[in-house]
Amino acid sequence: MSMKPEEVLRVIAAERGTAVVIPTMTTAPAWREIAPDDLSVTCAGFMGGASALGLGIALARPDRRVVVLDGDGSLLMQLGSLASIAGARPRNLTHLVFKNGVYHTSGSQDIPGGLTVDFVAMAKGAGYKSAYAVRELDDFKRRLPSILGDEGPLMVELITGLAEKTPMTARGGQPFNVQVEDLRKKLLRVR
Amino acid sequence: MPESIPASLIIDTLRDTFREARAAIAAEVAEPPQHSHLGWVLSVPDTHQKTVLSALDKERDMQVITFATEDEATTAAAGFYIGGEPCVMMIQHAGLYASVNTLRGVAMDGKVPIFYMIGLLSREKDKDPKESRHSMVRYCEPLLDVFGVPHARLEGPNDVHLIPKYHRMARERRGPAAVLVGLETI
Repeated sequence: MSMKPEEVLRVIAAERGTAVVIPTMTTAPAWREIAPDDLSVTCAGFMGGASALGLGIALARPDRRVVVLDGDGSLLMQLGSLASIAGARPRNLTHLVFKNGVYHTSGSQDIPGGLTVDFVAMAKGAGYKSAYAVRELDDFKRRLPSILGDEGPLMVELITGLAEKTPMTARGGQPFNVQVEDLRKKLLRVR
Repeated sequence: MPESIPASLIIDTLRDTFREARAAIAAEVAEPPQHSHLGWVLSVPDTHQKTVLSALDKERDMQVITFATEDEATTAAAGFYIGGEPCVMMIQHAGLYASVNTLRGVAMDGKVPIFYMIGLLSREKDKDPKESRHSMVRYCEPLLDVFGVPHARLEGPNDVHLIPKYHRMARERRGPAAVLVGLETI
């Protein structure tokens, strides 16, 4: 049985500490409710960009953990980012891929390859420090300290069901530019 | 007639550009990041600027990150902005075309200062880029105009002052700005 995305996100929110979090697509509405803070920035309006956005923040701020809440369809849009991330070797980057096999937001069409696409193998092949899949919430809870603390880049493929809400059914949240400035002010203590 | 610009001149100018950007960030924030280098060059390798990229490999005070696509590089630049680190994008005109949605969604809608150095590969020395027989040369400036991205041409060594000028412009307008490298660097 697959995990509920909202349950996974609640566990992350409880343990993240000062980590910067980057949700995208179907993780975005739930994360907005679970962690309504300014240490997150949502990748919205440029699908596929969450991993590269996380890479930039992670390299700029090696003192912070950066956690990307990616989607399988989203990652496929910029799959080359796996090699870019591996090449840049951000030690503080955790890349979580919520794998449900479909483009949930646009109507649950299958992603190319569906659930057979193996992101763990791709991340390992690209050169991530480690990568593995998690199917059970208890296993995820048990592994979370290392997921948030081990040397990156680290990928965890999370086998999940569909989220209760999508960016189309639950619109809202701050515009991207406001989120960018809020997070920047928080991280840098802008005067 | 346009002239090629030596890589060393561009690198010295980038160094000055990063110093100025770091000073601006330091004046703005209480907790700037602590890195030992001056800035980051985000590159999707460009044939036109290959002598610069090659020379940058030997520089320790500028970090070059190579990306698989211009979409990634543009989005990562937003991450560097959030984290308070100055960066420069070095790409080719074809890469600009490939990453138009990210230019719009990240740099423009996100109001993120992103400075591009765009190589005009195949630009003819005796022609204005707008009259080039190559569409990839011809459409670059019109595309930037459509999106309202300020831009200038680097037509020779005397134009390198436009690099810090347009980098500063990107910071001040909170959006993209670009310089176009007219001839292949040497």
